[in-house]
Amino acid sequence: MPSGCCALCIEMLKTEELQINIGPQHPSTHGVFRMIVTVDGETITDLKPVFGYLHRNHEQIAEQNTYLQNMPYTDRLDYFNSMANNHAYAMAVERLAGIEVPERAEYIRVLMVELTRILNHAGALGFLINDMGMWQTQLAFGMREREKILDLFEAASGARLMCNYFRFGGVARDLPPDFVPKLKELLVAMPAFVDELERLLRENEILMQRAEGIGILPRDLALAYSVTGPVLRGSGVPYDVRKAEPYSVYDRFNFDVPVGSVGDVYDRFLVRIEEMRQSKRIIEQIIEQLPDAQGGHINPKARQNVRPPVGDAYARIESPKGELGFYLVSDGSTRPYRYKVRAPSFINLTPLGDMCRGYKVADVVVILGSIDIVMGEVDR
Amino acid sequence: MYELLDALINGRLGLGWPGWAVALLGHVAVATLLFLVAPVQMLFFTYYERRAIARMQDRIGPNRVGPEGIWQPIADGVKMFTKEDIVPAAADRYVHLLAPIVVVAPTMFMFAVVPWGPGMVPVDLNVGLLFFFAISSISAVGLMMAGWASNNKFALLGAMRAVAQMVSYEIPAVLSLIAIVMLTGTLSVVQIVAAQGGLVISTADLPGVPDVGLGWFIFTPVGLLACLCFFIAALAEGERTPFDIPEADSEIVAGYMTEYSGMKFGLFYLAQYVLNFLLCAITAVVFCGGWQGPGVGWLAAQGLSPANPDGSWVFNLFAGMLGVFYFLAKTYFFFFVMIWARGAFPRLRVDQLMDFGWKFLIPLTLVNVVSAAVWVGITRWGPEEGLDFTAQWSPLLRWGVAFALTMAINVVAYLTLARLYAAAQAARGRVDLEELVGSVPTSA
Repeated sequence: MPSGCCALCIEMLKTEELQINIGPQHPSTHGVFRMIVTVDGETITDLKPVFGYLHRNHEQIAEQNTYLQNMPYTDRLDYFNSMANNHAYAMAVERLAGIEVPERAEYIRVLMVELTRILNHAGALGFLINDMGMWQTQLAFGMREREKILDLFEAASGARLMCNYFRFGGVARDLPPDFVPKLKELLVAMPAFVDELERLLRENEILMQRAEGIGILPRDLALAYSVTGPVLRGSGVPYDVRKAEPYSVYDRFNFDVPVGSVGDVYDRFLVRIEEMRQSKRIIEQIIEQLPDAQGGHINPKARQNVRPPVGDAYARIESPKGELGFYLVSDGSTRPYRYKVRAPSFINLTPLGDMCRGYKVADVVVILGSIDIVMGEVDR
Repeated sequence: MYELLDALINGRLGLGWPGWAVALLGHVAVATLLFLVAPVQMLFFTYYERRAIARMQDRIGPNRVGPEGIWQPIADGVKMFTKEDIVPAAADRYVHLLAPIVVVAPTMFMFAVVPWGPGMVPVDLNVGLLFFFAISSISAVGLMMAGWASNNKFALLGAMRAVAQMVSYEIPAVLSLIAIVMLTGTLSVVQIVAAQGGLVISTADLPGVPDVGLGWFIFTPVGLLACLCFFIAALAEGERTPFDIPEADSEIVAGYMTEYSGMKFGLFYLAQYVLNFLLCAITAVVFCGGWQGPGVGWLAAQGLSPANPDGSWVFNLFAGMLGVFYFLAKTYFFFFVMIWARGAFPRLRVDQLMDFGWKFLIPLTLVNVVSAAVWVGITRWGPEEGLDFTAQWSPLLRWGVAFALTMAINVVAYLTLARLYAAAQAARGRVDLEELVGSVPTSA
């Protein structure tokens, strides 16, 4: 401790803390998200996330719709990953109404969700580096890869973003004949992109300085906040719904669940890069097994205007952002009595204050970027 | 300029103007020219940057307004002028208005000492470099004014960052220039350019070298290290990636510019790009020979001058054009490096920036000053200074020994400092959290 004159000076220099509102209008809050940040100079002493600016009564509206009407509505939750949202919702309704899904449809579904994972991570990593200040370069490259996958989505479903591709008992259309050759082309080009992204991270000194040891989310804290997805795996917990509770046809594929060690931005980054590689592995296995799959793209006996028996069902999948769950309660009518979404972005965002405390203002946006949120899903 | 106008007005036309009128006309003409050139350079720089960075990002960039989008900056300028000028209700009106002016004016002054071609310098100050850096520091005051007067927390944070950064990075910038000042023994920018004739070896070090205008300081170990350090410091001075922390758009919106709109914002933008141009120009002038290049010296020698009254003014014209071409080519190259860095690097954090400046760049430039002293001692000193043994060496040997010695000093210094700095960075864990925990207010 300094003494005498120095101590007096420090006493006199005692500064005030400043409270800053980052958001709801701010370039890098990924939507209308607000953080009340208390800073001491540049160091964060407290951070309070404030949600709700994009609240649009999603769940209540969904209870006024028929089951099928909700399918395109789920697209709007996490607009990056409409296929994954479709999948979770379709699974929930199928469980509720007891609808069988043919094998081929399951393969197509998994294929779409894995492609979604690749495009989500390509975009998310681009946004993360953009938040670090690399002016859109990586984002542009990520978006370029994403476009190629969106082309495939368009070929299959007719839409690029809001695909609305899944139906109860399968998917809306079968894959077009040129889909698989195009997919193979895409997979040939994919490793180069992923390797490039990883090289960028491993060798760029500035990026390392900004990512390593920043935004540490310890394992216990991650579990206590029930964080899921790449954020949880970055903290070193090998939890993946695809392995923990294999749904659809995931038990037939070989893939690894990458985990980090420290739980910093760097680990989350690496986990996402590795997940893209694993998704590619899964897709390769799908291409191999798809021709032998039984059945068509949809169960012909499945009714789309379902009237499920009284009861409830919960279905969860490993969406690119974490565990996405739909909880439905049926009162025997054509509309869900209760419709609840367990949105991974929302739950992953809650520990933000603990992750940011003690770091600099500049780190907040990087930590936020590493969580990878979509406000459409956070505020429903 | 004075001689030229005097010859034209009083000599050719025989108007018999007094000397002060000729001088006044000359200064007004040069000032007008520069005030026209500076915004045009800025306009072209914005276009150049947008197109170049678009190429790096697999895009096309602006290509709608005019052929290949060349009039895009004009359209942007018109947009700036027609935008509403908003002053926040709680802002300090007068300081808010004054800040952009205080920021822009110094950058225009700085043009005064930049030589564009042989004999084409607005003012040949004998303390040109000092003037350049003294004037450039004034904009820091303007930035603080802007940040404070806006009454916006982002603006205040941005202004504090900007001032801290400018003050810290001026030191390595000036220290790296001091090495060159020691080599040339002058602060005059014109004489620094003149000293860079030769072919790889400067004519100042080895009189027998053929003078093709390629004796740039960047070819010496001292000059190379100084150039790198200076350019890095210039990136910070000009608030360019990876040091664009004061206006980090993803963190503090637009920094000190947040509350500015319309042409006031345009002035900040102008000041920034003009400053970038000048920093690139001064890098080119001090380290890469400015207008020096193959052919300029020969053309200038054929031209009309007091030493060569029979020369033709056509040669003067061509020498000037070639000189300006070389100068601009070098300047645009350095600006391209700035764009390149913007496309390739994320930004540093503010504390990392300070660490890098104070713990790495400043010691390195200090070592470089020592190297410069060694260089001067070996190549210039003789028996008068008590160095008898070097007197027997041939100039080439002296140059070789100086080259080897300074190279060794700089390489060793760089490697040692890089290792020390990396170790210091690795040792830094999470930002003094333990100290902080006590002071964290429990959230309600």
